[in-house]
Amino acid sequence: MTAPLARIDGVTYWYPGAVTPSLRDVTLEMEPGVTLLAGSSGGGKSTLLRLLDGLVPQFHGGRISGRAEVAGMDPFRTAIPRLATHVGLVFQDVETQSVYGSVEREVAFGLENLGVARSLMHDRVDEALNELGIEGLRRRRLATLSGGERQLVQLAAVLVLRPELVALDEPTSQLDPGGAAAVVAACLKLAGSGKAVVVAEHRLETLLPRADRLLIVEKGEATGPAASRTLAARLTSPPPVVELGAALGWDPIPLSVGEARGRMTLRSALAGTALASPPARADAEPTLVALALGAGPGREAILEGIDLAVAAGEVIALVGPNGSGKTTLLRTLAGLLAPLSGTVRRPPGRTAYLPQNPGALLHWPTVRAEVDLTLRRTGSSGSSDGPDGPDGPDGADAILSSFGLLGLADRYPRDLSAGERQRAALAATLAGSPALALLDEPTRGMDLAARRGLGAALRSLSRRGSAVVIATHDVDLAAEVADRVILVRDGRTVELGPPQRACAAGSAFATQIGSLFPDGPVTVAGALAQVVR
Amino acid sequence: MSAAGDLDGPGLAPRAWLVWSIAAVSVAVLTNNPVYRGLVALVALNVLLAWLPPGRNRKPLAIALAVAAIMAALINVLASHTGADVLLRFPEGLPLVGGPITLESLAFGGAIGLGLVAALLAVAPLSLVLEPHDVVDAMPASMERTGIAVATSMNLVSGIGRTFVSVRDAQQMRGWRPRGLRSWNEVLVPVVLTVIEDSVLLAEAMEARGFGAGRRTSYSRHAWTRWDVTVAGSAVAAAALFAVMRLAGVAMDWYPYPTLALPPIHPLLVAGSIALVLPALRRR
Repeated sequence: MTAPLARIDGVTYWYPGAVTPSLRDVTLEMEPGVTLLAGSSGGGKSTLLRLLDGLVPQFHGGRISGRAEVAGMDPFRTAIPRLATHVGLVFQDVETQSVYGSVEREVAFGLENLGVARSLMHDRVDEALNELGIEGLRRRRLATLSGGERQLVQLAAVLVLRPELVALDEPTSQLDPGGAAAVVAACLKLAGSGKAVVVAEHRLETLLPRADRLLIVEKGEATGPAASRTLAARLTSPPPVVELGAALGWDPIPLSVGEARGRMTLRSALAGTALASPPARADAEPTLVALALGAGPGREAILEGIDLAVAAGEVIALVGPNGSGKTTLLRTLAGLLAPLSGTVRRPPGRTAYLPQNPGALLHWPTVRAEVDLTLRRTGSSGSSDGPDGPDGPDGADAILSSFGLLGLADRYPRDLSAGERQRAALAATLAGSPALALLDEPTRGMDLAARRGLGAALRSLSRRGSAVVIATHDVDLAAEVADRVILVRDGRTVELGPPQRACAAGSAFATQIGSLFPDGPVTVAGALAQVVR
Repeated sequence: MSAAGDLDGPGLAPRAWLVWSIAAVSVAVLTNNPVYRGLVALVALNVLLAWLPPGRNRKPLAIALAVAAIMAALINVLASHTGADVLLRFPEGLPLVGGPITLESLAFGGAIGLGLVAALLAVAPLSLVLEPHDVVDAMPASMERTGIAVATSMNLVSGIGRTFVSVRDAQQMRGWRPRGLRSWNEVLVPVVLTVIEDSVLLAEAMEARGFGAGRRTSYSRHAWTRWDVTVAGSAVAAAALFAVMRLAGVAMDWYPYPTLALPPIHPLLVAGSIALVLPALRRR
């Protein structure tokens, strides 16, 4: 048995001014290997990671009780810079944690802070870059890197201090599948070299079957760490195969597509079952039309010859690698960027647009006030002080409820967790039944319950005739809500067809369920529906 | 740039850049003579254009220069009512601006604006030519933390621009329209809040990577070349020349009141101002 690197014993923690604790009586041990930290948005994952390197309570203040020991030191009292040589923390947003503009200097920043001799620094930077296989990026500017590369650089910037424990806070939430795979591979490699790697994530598909342990934090209470299979059934945001296995009562629960493939009973049950036909909306009169569209954030087009027609009530998912132009396309469709060539015709009525990092737009004292603002501005009568009041089908309560925000309606939006804030921004954006909704990475930082809420809200919009276009890396969202999936790559769009085809086995955008059942369903709900049949 | 996204060095040692900038700013503020200020502005613009990396956004600097020059000139011309040549007259009852508007106050306002433009152009290379880490390297050891603060601010600036665009877009799509100054609160407040949050996150990330542990070391060592010494030395000499001439009582300032007159020109001071162009010659 390996000695634990970190021991937390009965820790309860309140942020300054908070009435309820963010961590409640947490007791656990961290050992070398990969520990996957899962749990609902706002449940305490980030707080727990910050506790490991002393930022909680030393940087954030607040009240704490209980005891902790990390690498033989007390993280509540040991100076954070001293802890930094034992615990490395990579934060969620790669852009806000960069100090310098170049890879080499960014990686060396920690060494400079600790007064390491210049003669040693170059070797240490080499070592950290080599460890992650990114030595080729050494002379690059951070601004020219992809999201995945930037995340690896930030990881190198903590590895350079040679910590025994490395914690990563949702490292793949902003990455395309390629970038996410590179980060996951790096985590596994680090664990293989004897480090303890703690990864807080909502996207568990890749790491769950490969993690040594699973730790679940919900409402501040920790369960585990224990073997992934032991705890998988308790996940509130399980990956699709786990959800399917749990729903069908499989024992043991499969953690990966490979494990689920062994369940031939289900496969045979599905064999030969005809797929439900995709909705016929695609043939309906288009309401959003882009013709020969050329678009770019400046004068130079990064998208050319884009033809797109979206019918009323249709939901389109745009997929593609980071930097492929999805955001530019959405902004041009929204009218925020003028087309460089071609035309865009939008439906009459309001266009709603959710930017990346939508939490940035929130500034009113409560979540409800944010929703009311949109309702008032857009002439809807359902605001809290409007003629119809907030209780109607288009009222503030309905939209708050669809995003699971009724309980948070009177909270200051900026005090919420990243995922909750995302939901608040979505509610504020989609209030008032827009004729066209354009959403840029709407599920970033969201747990399964919130994503399902978003799915329901989008289906509701669709039923009421809104056209919806989503740019996303989340293939499960695309599979659940989209009528068509469109790939944006190399300045062009490629129609991938309905999710049943775009997210099926063999596709670069296959869901776990799609990979499990060739020519079958691509969502958990779809699979369960067919089993029942 | 040697390859897409690769870094070139700053050409001159970062500390030589810093010395040059301080010297050029000193010259611009040691006299209010528009001839010397104009020369410093032209020389600094020349240096900046010679070293500006391709693709670097010049628009924010151009806006800052225009705003500084126009505001300085406007404030002086509207608030100073002295001078013999009256261009027009505002009613005396108007607070602050009421009274004669003179050619002399317009000229003096222009000289103040020119000084601001020269000073801005003199410090512009520190943010537009140097990388944030070069700025840290340029600072003396006792001012390392100031250097880090400057470097991180430089990184935050681009983030502020992105946040502004994102918030403005989102509010626009929620029905917001710019109607008067107060309406901008709905964009500016979220942007400021986000910048504060980002700064706190950055501070947290820096502390988690050992910032504040004690005496820092530097990754890079910039050995001074003969050229660095020449550039820094000539810049210091130019600033010293202005200081010495001022102490010696040489007429170098210019006051256009009560009647407009040509500014005094001393050939040594003209030469001193032009000597600041050395960094541009190296690049070409």
